[in-house]
Amino acid sequence: MSDAIAYATIRELGGRYRKRELSPVEVTRTLLGRIEQLDPKLHAFVTLTADRAMADARAAEAALQRGDARPLLGIPVAHKDIYCTRGIRTTGGSALLADWLPEDEATCVRCWQEAGTVLLGKLITHEFAFGLQLPGHRFLPARNPWNLAHIPGGSSSGSGAALAAGLVVGATGSDTGGSIRGPAAFCGIVGLKPTYGRVSRAGVLTLSWTLDHTGPMARTVEDCAYLLQAMAGHDAADPASSRAPVDDYLAPLGGDIRGVKIGVPRAYFFDGIDAEVAQAFEGALATLRGLGAEVRDVTIPSLHATPAFLLILMAEAFAYHERDIREHPELYGEVLRERILTGALVTAAEYTQAQRLRAQLCREMAEVLQDVDVFATPTTPAPATPFTLAQDPEFGFPRSNMPPFNLTGLPTLALPCGFASSGLPLSLQLAGRPFDEAMVLRVGHAYEQATPWHTRRPPV
Amino acid sequence: MSAAQELTMEALRARIQAAGVTIAEHRLAMVRKLLDEALAPVRTLDTRAIKTVEPAVVFTPETGDTP
Repeated sequence: MSDAIAYATIRELGGRYRKRELSPVEVTRTLLGRIEQLDPKLHAFVTLTADRAMADARAAEAALQRGDARPLLGIPVAHKDIYCTRGIRTTGGSALLADWLPEDEATCVRCWQEAGTVLLGKLITHEFAFGLQLPGHRFLPARNPWNLAHIPGGSSSGSGAALAAGLVVGATGSDTGGSIRGPAAFCGIVGLKPTYGRVSRAGVLTLSWTLDHTGPMARTVEDCAYLLQAMAGHDAADPASSRAPVDDYLAPLGGDIRGVKIGVPRAYFFDGIDAEVAQAFEGALATLRGLGAEVRDVTIPSLHATPAFLLILMAEAFAYHERDIREHPELYGEVLRERILTGALVTAAEYTQAQRLRAQLCREMAEVLQDVDVFATPTTPAPATPFTLAQDPEFGFPRSNMPPFNLTGLPTLALPCGFASSGLPLSLQLAGRPFDEAMVLRVGHAYEQATPWHTRRPPV
Repeated sequence: MSAAQELTMEALRARIQAAGVTIAEHRLAMVRKLLDEALAPVRTLDTRAIKTVEPAVVFTPETGDTP
């Protein structure tokens, strides 16, 4: 019974709530019990809000009895701990903010609350969404439910681990260089980085203003669509927020993808790729072809400039953290301190040239997107990294397939596309035109429904 | 800096001094690697040939967006 509830989708829960087969109180109690049982080995939660969750669940139950039809009513969620929650500790995974109680909510938190969700708590993040929790850090790192010796990805590490382990139904993530999609890939779940400006970042701790995105994480594409629907839209509190109309993200799901054009940019995305990742990706392309999509290779020359994204990220991160890191360097972890201080070493000219390269990449991708509807690539070059390697001080910053879509701001979905022989999940990345989340979700949903990957459960 | 010019430890130390920050001596090699890799695309960029004129502010009249 616990597993059936823990891994239920938003649609399933809502249907059973409305048939009076299940109540939000029962579901919340089940998940709190599961968190108590499993989280001591996963470390996904940094703060559990059990009393608040039960109060939310009772309120949802009362609303259901009044006939309230909101799709997220009574759906248990948790927020990455860089999303401010009024009166609830928001640490940013950092010793600097370890006991901070924000006086206001992030806009996304308020949106999901107004949609009737149940708040289970706050999920651990890599330190300020950029560092690593090495031994001795104030907060323990989350572990991958598929193999506890491996990282769940980051920086939305707790979100990925909690979803894969069936501790929450939906979670927020943030994505500056892949922090929604990486944990989604490593944990075998679904993560959507929406278009830059589609979802508000107000009340979410900054890493890099021009690269930061907020978005939903879930176990299915449809769940992501439900969660996105409740958080997308203009917010005057975020200067980058767009007034572009918000689509219906649920309506296109279930439609066929015959004639949809999928472009595969092989250069850059396949550099040094793991053989099993490549094999799973080719299998995904075959499935998409079988569904009627037209798949072809495309060329985007400026992808080679992707590493320059780190200049932008580090320089902006230093600008944001400068005062705190100069005054309290001891409150920053060693890896994070090193990465942020490297941003101080980037010259103004280098930062500007990186932005020029970025603009060129945006233009090239926009040109190709006149001929194809979405790009498809492997989300990560390899399955989840073992802790022994990730926590090696010499590990550095590995090449990633995700930053090109932070640089360009395009909506990008990561979803399961297989498993390695080690049992670790593999992931497909789909990116679309600006504000065309609906197309990305449509293609992802068609693929998901044609494959069994999203139905597998980790051995926790 | 030309494509052939990698960031030397001497140049890194000069940047650290100019920025007025402190980075542990035993981490300098790692920082040099991190910065050097990030700088690689900029070093190979022909700043006179690149066509883009960004960064720029773009106003979309219907929406008031400034992406």
